[in-house]
Amino acid sequence: MNKEFKVLARPYMVWLSILVFVPILAMILISISNLNSSVSVGDLVISFSHFKLLLESSTLIAFRNSLFFATLTTLFSFVLGYFIAYEIKLSRFKNKFILLTIVILPMWSNLILRTESLANIMSENNILKSILGFNLFGNISGTGAAVLFGLVFTYMPFMILSVYTALEKIDFALEEAALDLGLSPIKKFWKVVFPLSLKGVVTGSIMVFLPTLAGFAIPKILSRGRIVFIGTIIENKFVYTNYNHGALLAVVILFFILGSILLLTKFDKEGETLL
Amino acid sequence: MEKQRATLKDYGYRDFTVMNKIYQILKKFLVVFIIFGLYISIIVIAIQSLNESRIISEFTRLSFKWYGNIFQEEELMQAIKNTFLVSGIATVLATFLGTFFAIGLYALSKKVRVIWMLLNNVPILNADIVTGFSLMLMFRLLMVVFPNIFGLFTLVMAHLFFTIPYVVLSVMPKLKETDPNLMDAALDLGVRPYKALIKVVIPAIKAGIFSGMLLALTMSIDDFVISYFNTGAGFDNLSIWIYAVIGRRNLTPSVYAFSTLLTLFTLLGLLIYSFLQKQKKGRKNEKNNINGRAS
Amino acid sequence: MKKIILMAGLLSLLLVLSACSSKPKLRILNWGEYINDELVENFEKEFGIDVVISVADSNELFYSKIKSKTTAFDLVIPSDYMIEKMVQEDMLLTLDYSKLPNFSSVTYMDGVEQIFTSMTETTFAATGDEVDFKAYAVPYFWGTFGIIYNNRVDGLEEALYTNGWDVYFEADNYFPTARRGMYDVPQFAFAAAMMYMDKNPNDYSLANLDLVRSVLETADFTEWGDDTLKRNVEADNLDMAFTYTGDYLDRLYIQLDEGKTLDEVREEFDLYIPDTTMVFIDAMVIPNTATNLDAAHQFINYLLNPENAALNAEVVGYAVATEEAFDIIMSYLESEDLTKKNWAIANSIYYNMEVERIYYPLTSLNPTDTDAIGTMVQNVITG
Repeated sequence: MNKEFKVLARPYMVWLSILVFVPILAMILISISNLNSSVSVGDLVISFSHFKLLLESSTLIAFRNSLFFATLTTLFSFVLGYFIAYEIKLSRFKNKFILLTIVILPMWSNLILRTESLANIMSENNILKSILGFNLFGNISGTGAAVLFGLVFTYMPFMILSVYTALEKIDFALEEAALDLGLSPIKKFWKVVFPLSLKGVVTGSIMVFLPTLAGFAIPKILSRGRIVFIGTIIENKFVYTNYNHGALLAVVILFFILGSILLLTKFDKEGETLL
Repeated sequence: MEKQRATLKDYGYRDFTVMNKIYQILKKFLVVFIIFGLYISIIVIAIQSLNESRIISEFTRLSFKWYGNIFQEEELMQAIKNTFLVSGIATVLATFLGTFFAIGLYALSKKVRVIWMLLNNVPILNADIVTGFSLMLMFRLLMVVFPNIFGLFTLVMAHLFFTIPYVVLSVMPKLKETDPNLMDAALDLGVRPYKALIKVVIPAIKAGIFSGMLLALTMSIDDFVISYFNTGAGFDNLSIWIYAVIGRRNLTPSVYAFSTLLTLFTLLGLLIYSFLQKQKKGRKNEKNNINGRAS
Repeated sequence: MKKIILMAGLLSLLLVLSACSSKPKLRILNWGEYINDELVENFEKEFGIDVVISVADSNELFYSKIKSKTTAFDLVIPSDYMIEKMVQEDMLLTLDYSKLPNFSSVTYMDGVEQIFTSMTETTFAATGDEVDFKAYAVPYFWGTFGIIYNNRVDGLEEALYTNGWDVYFEADNYFPTARRGMYDVPQFAFAAAMMYMDKNPNDYSLANLDLVRSVLETADFTEWGDDTLKRNVEADNLDMAFTYTGDYLDRLYIQLDEGKTLDEVREEFDLYIPDTTMVFIDAMVIPNTATNLDAAHQFINYLLNPENAALNAEVVGYAVATEEAFDIIMSYLESEDLTKKNWAIANSIYYNMEVERIYYPLTSLNPTDTDAIGTMVQNVITG
């Protein structure tokens, strides 16, 4: 590409540098100081007193819950999402764009509405029961299973898109060659297709893992407020205007995010599958 | 003792027909299950929108009255308008800017590009609540100069922050696929670089721009947390409004009706699009055939 | 391509322009669906003012929205304890009563007066300042808290009326199968537990914090929610929940709209108001960021008019603050219009101020205490 076009990237570089770094630094500053809405910069005091929040049992359990559910959600999304992405890739239906749009279409409806409607049909007496006469989901409202179901099917589209993007780039001739060499279809999949799609799997996993880890709406609604995620606590802190605590926990989450971004670059240098 | 003949198996051939059958059944089951999981909430929303009663735990009678009511719900209509306004402007701008930014980034050396693409990922992966809160802090700094900044402007800016990266990401691979000679050829023909960019490169990466636009719109339309922190002056989009109303009072079922309409229209649009695509291809083939016969 | 870009640019410009208009604006920050749209329209017509309403779902958000100054709101409708906090932090302007002529022709209800007195007392206890909150606030609506219960459960009603708070907090002793829900606002949970222990809900101390913690742990609630609580009791997915009285009335009116009779609804789910309970008041205040002071006063004055207050209550369902407005509602007891009649009956049952009760409005705790309660509740939930 013509080097002349480099200038086109300039404004974006300025924009990204400001909007990525300044806020992160501000968050870190808030988390280690007494800075909040009523303290002006003049009487700023650096203190690490907020850090005792990290040892509170609810904080630790919330982290454990977030990590546990984020991991499980990623695993389920991976198994189911990979399968669908692979089927879309194999499908004889020409217009793959339509299939992919069908997968992301539910995301156009408001997340809270979708989650509330899930919570509705997961409780003992609900609208589906009044039509069908029986309970489709049993009575799983308020349990971990309900939360898991909601998380998996909310974030799976990210996994499907990423894996599909990676699969699409695989040359079909490679697969044929593998079959010609006598590999069984299963072996062919594990030795040829899967390694080549790993990039997409890693990206997809991160795209599922991170929002689950930091989210709060879905677990709050589907667990009927009984399973606390770290996002729930962060939200509470911001709502009750304790910005210092909120920022501190957000910075911890930020470390997970930066870690993920570094991991991502190992597998996918330019985030090609990050879609 | 009878001598045993070598079977096909011994030659390394294995019969996969049984396994294949099991896989086929499993496959169908899984596909149905996943579609069910993805769409069950949408279906329930649709059922709630068709329920005559406002009580969402029981279906009383089929009714379309909530669909007619959408236009009478002033607050809802305002929120819908605001949503389209913000997401519309943000998507158009993000698509436009993102495309040119991607081209600019692509012109960089690979080493530098990798670093910037890394930063490009930050807004996508960062937790919404962190992005939302920190952007608000930024905009508050600007308030010293522009006191009435919060509202449409900040909302669009915040949406641009997390939508542009999606456009950049989907345009970039398409740029890599374009033939570098294409541009050179155009330049050799004496076309000015920027004209060549618009006439040659943009058409070649059209698909990437389009999918980037779609993603930007998807992310923008459903965003709540970031919008929540960055709105002002009574400029509430649909998700802010829903969240505020659902927290304390009763949501009008017209919201479900609107949501269902949005899904249906998108599906319909898709079908028409795919139909037109087929027609176009059909016509092309026909033309080719005629040409073929003529020659 | 160029044309498309040009078109898109023009389109967005047009959209931006169309979003502006020239009439004077009154920016109100309110709770979601907490106003009668008809009232707003009438006001807009009468005074030629454009009313822009933003919504938020918690007092804390009201606070942070005003504090962050992202919008210059002219009128905000926070609750009692938040008004105390805002006054303490100098965020509110005093009202100009010369611009509120309707004030002289109304009388606040006893409960409202009690709340104002109590707010002054708690602020005095906390800061030593004697504040007359009427100088800052005009009541919008007020209401009590109560326990919504599932009347399809045999004996629950009787148990509640004989043993009160105990049934809700000691389910094991009274109703082991009862599914119970608590409001997920930490201070509400704290206050409820304190009232169960016959203590003043505003009496925060570390010792009380420990007591409340063990009470909440024993209670082991099925759900920590917000508006989901009332809907779950209504749908027979929950048996008891501590919520606003208005939450119950909301669902009641909806059920009446569906064609059920008052008695039918009360047989399915009803509300018990304990002898000692919390009250709240939402009042109109003018933040110091306000730009259109005249319009804000005009609006407050407009709502002081009993007719308008009653009209607003018709849709919102909380208790009106003035005796004159309450009388208007009571006049509907003999009304031909069934909706109005039911509304009046409900008001006479659930907002009957003749029953002797101890009312506690919540006070504004300092940030450290609020945080300690929040953390305690999170620790209880996570177990």
